[in-house]
Amino acid sequence: MPPTSSARAPALAPRPGGPALDALLRDLGASVQRGGLEAPAASCFATGLAEIDRALGGGFPRGRVSEVVGPACCGRTSLALALLARVTAQGELAVVVDRPDVFDPASAARAGVDLERVLWVRPPGVAEALRSVEHVLQAGGFPLVLVDLAAEEAAALRIPASAWPRLRKATAAAAAALVLLGRQRLAGTFADLALELDAAAPRFESAPDWLGGLDCRVRLVRSRAGPAHAGVAVRWRAGERHAA
Amino acid sequence: MERGKAPPQAGLAPARSEAQPSGVTASGARSEAQPSGVTGRIACLLVPALPLAAELRARPELAGHPLAIAAGPGPRAEIVAVSPEAARAGVRTLTSVVHARATCAALVVRVLSPAQDEAARGALLDAALSASPRAEHAPPGNGAHAGEAAVFVDARGVASLFRSEAGFAGALAERAQRLGLPARVAVAASRSVARVAARQLAYEDGGAGDVRVIAAGHEAAFLAPLSLDLLCPADAQAEALSRLGLRRVADLLRLPERALVTRLGPGIRPLLALARGEDRAPPPPVPPDLRLEEATDLEAPLERLEPLGFVLRGLLDRLAERLACRGLAFGDLELALRLEGGGRDARRVGLATPTLDLRVVLRLALLALEAAPPRAAVSAVSVASVGRAVRGDQLDFFRPAGPAPAVLARTLAELAALVGPARVGAPAVADDHHPGAYRVEPFRAPKPGATAQPDSEEVPALAVRALRPPLPARVRLLGGRPAWLASALANGRVERAAGPWRTSGRWWSLEERFAFDHYDVATGDGWVVRLRLDLLHRRWEIDGVYD
Repeated sequence: MPPTSSARAPALAPRPGGPALDALLRDLGASVQRGGLEAPAASCFATGLAEIDRALGGGFPRGRVSEVVGPACCGRTSLALALLARVTAQGELAVVVDRPDVFDPASAARAGVDLERVLWVRPPGVAEALRSVEHVLQAGGFPLVLVDLAAEEAAALRIPASAWPRLRKATAAAAAALVLLGRQRLAGTFADLALELDAAAPRFESAPDWLGGLDCRVRLVRSRAGPAHAGVAVRWRAGERHAA
Repeated sequence: MERGKAPPQAGLAPARSEAQPSGVTASGARSEAQPSGVTGRIACLLVPALPLAAELRARPELAGHPLAIAAGPGPRAEIVAVSPEAARAGVRTLTSVVHARATCAALVVRVLSPAQDEAARGALLDAALSASPRAEHAPPGNGAHAGEAAVFVDARGVASLFRSEAGFAGALAERAQRLGLPARVAVAASRSVARVAARQLAYEDGGAGDVRVIAAGHEAAFLAPLSLDLLCPADAQAEALSRLGLRRVADLLRLPERALVTRLGPGIRPLLALARGEDRAPPPPVPPDLRLEEATDLEAPLERLEPLGFVLRGLLDRLAERLACRGLAFGDLELALRLEGGGRDARRVGLATPTLDLRVVLRLALLALEAAPPRAAVSAVSVASVGRAVRGDQLDFFRPAGPAPAVLARTLAELAALVGPARVGAPAVADDHHPGAYRVEPFRAPKPGATAQPDSEEVPALAVRALRPPLPARVRLLGGRPAWLASALANGRVERAAGPWRTSGRWWSLEERFAFDHYDVATGDGWVVRLRLDLLHRRWEIDGVYD
């Protein structure tokens, strides 16, 4: 399974090259693919969580706006870090536009994020956050832009409606995956994909007492690529400090 | 002989090309006697009227206009250089501005800018260094040659690179012209002969770009018919020689040295050596540093940033030309402003990567100025940069390329201007036991390389959203453990609590020491938070939220 999933068309006939070439292509990952007559599918970034990736049709699509929303402590940030870890592991650069200034480098490192490949921007306001997103999309070369707007309710953010078509256009031009984290959905119809997370249940272990993690449920509530999904369960494990 | 006048007078004019002695070639013609295995070959790159050339280099739109350079502001200031158009209209040097304006109504008068002249001198050296690794500034001339600027260039072995010494001289002249400096170039066996030859070219009717090669062994024959003024003697010497009726170099060399020294003093010896074409100076050195500077004095102080941007663009444009001429790119930019009232504003604009993209460098400079505008109106501007070699990105065949380095630098600068420099960078885990410790490092696109792939089979890690600063909380204890919590986020009964985990450190510093008891707490309203008791200040805080 290559690290970046692509919804490839099924092979119609055995192709030359044999198992050695297949093994080589498998080792090289999604950067190298067989040539052919099939139209290239839109690439996407997998999260590494098999159930979620399957529900998303491979992962978060590039060139599109996606949303991950839900109440506090639902696992939004954990899902975002899993995505960030996968993307940076592929050698790609990512941007975290962290409006509420809550990104925790230690937590991200535990999730496997290559911090050197992350540009962390902490704008003081929502307007600056949106302008930062536009700057990095215009620069190009950052295929994942993660925007954390989860500190406030959607109404309190006061994002002008004209911002979304502009961001969507810039995202498509940059061929980047723009992922918004929020409490409620923000981009409306300009989001191609929306995941909603239900309130999570904390999982405490006994003897001795420690927080084992969170159990949450992820639902695909909007997808242009296919039908919405009933939902998948995800178990997040707490950090090493607590397990020790 | 009167000093201050143009030296070539009727009858004293240096030999023209048609009357040149054998072994001398002019205007790019190839020398018949190509020196082979000659150890000392020097080229002299000479600009005869530097203040005028520097002004036209900074303001090319003045080319073709009658232009005069005044030594200072005000109507009584002395004219120190005039353009050919002004000279044709009757404007002369050493007259006053008011007199010059009366002579030519359309005359454009600019005030001499030492900073601009110095930048032009630097550009001349850059033109030289673009063709040879060894070059140095020539000492300033005096008298009628006070306004000239010259550079000596090591010309040994250049014939193999430029086909001939004339080709090398032509390349030097062309590169100087590209930097906006009309230069004459001569190649000879010594500095003095090369300079005299270049000076002679300047006072001939030929235009900029003329070159001359004096073949080895033909120096004396070349110098003999020339006017003594071209050797640039000191004023007293020139007067004494004139009194003796000596006009040409050959006249001087015909006289016995001892008699001349007796009458004119030992100071005549260097002039005699010059007349003989003798020069024992070592070859020019390799310049020690690559710092290039462009500067200008403004005629009227600028208060707003917008017009200052136009000035900066011109300076950076010229600096970029010089850097490109030497195969270099902008390193960090040093921006210095002289302020009205005597103040000075100096700042450094960092570049993430060497670049010659003028748009990027200008944008970075303007962002730096917008972030902290100068305190007063600006009366002079200087930009300098240590040239850095541009290295092509070594891209990985199987790994994606990041943003272009120059674009990344511009984007980082724009983000820094938008959100503050401390709020943009690459996050890093701090080597510190403090629970809230982290670092922000300058973001540099990392080199492509193998990165560990996260194990997809592993249970994904739970993330913490760090609260900065920690949120104050009120906690009710039951049996020594949190039982009820009130805060701006989580409120209500504590459903489950795990802990405490004690963290302490920096005990050696009263101000920085810390000691916390951490609990992981799930409250009745659905929050799972990291709660801590500050043991030193006896207060409860929430420093993170599990999400």
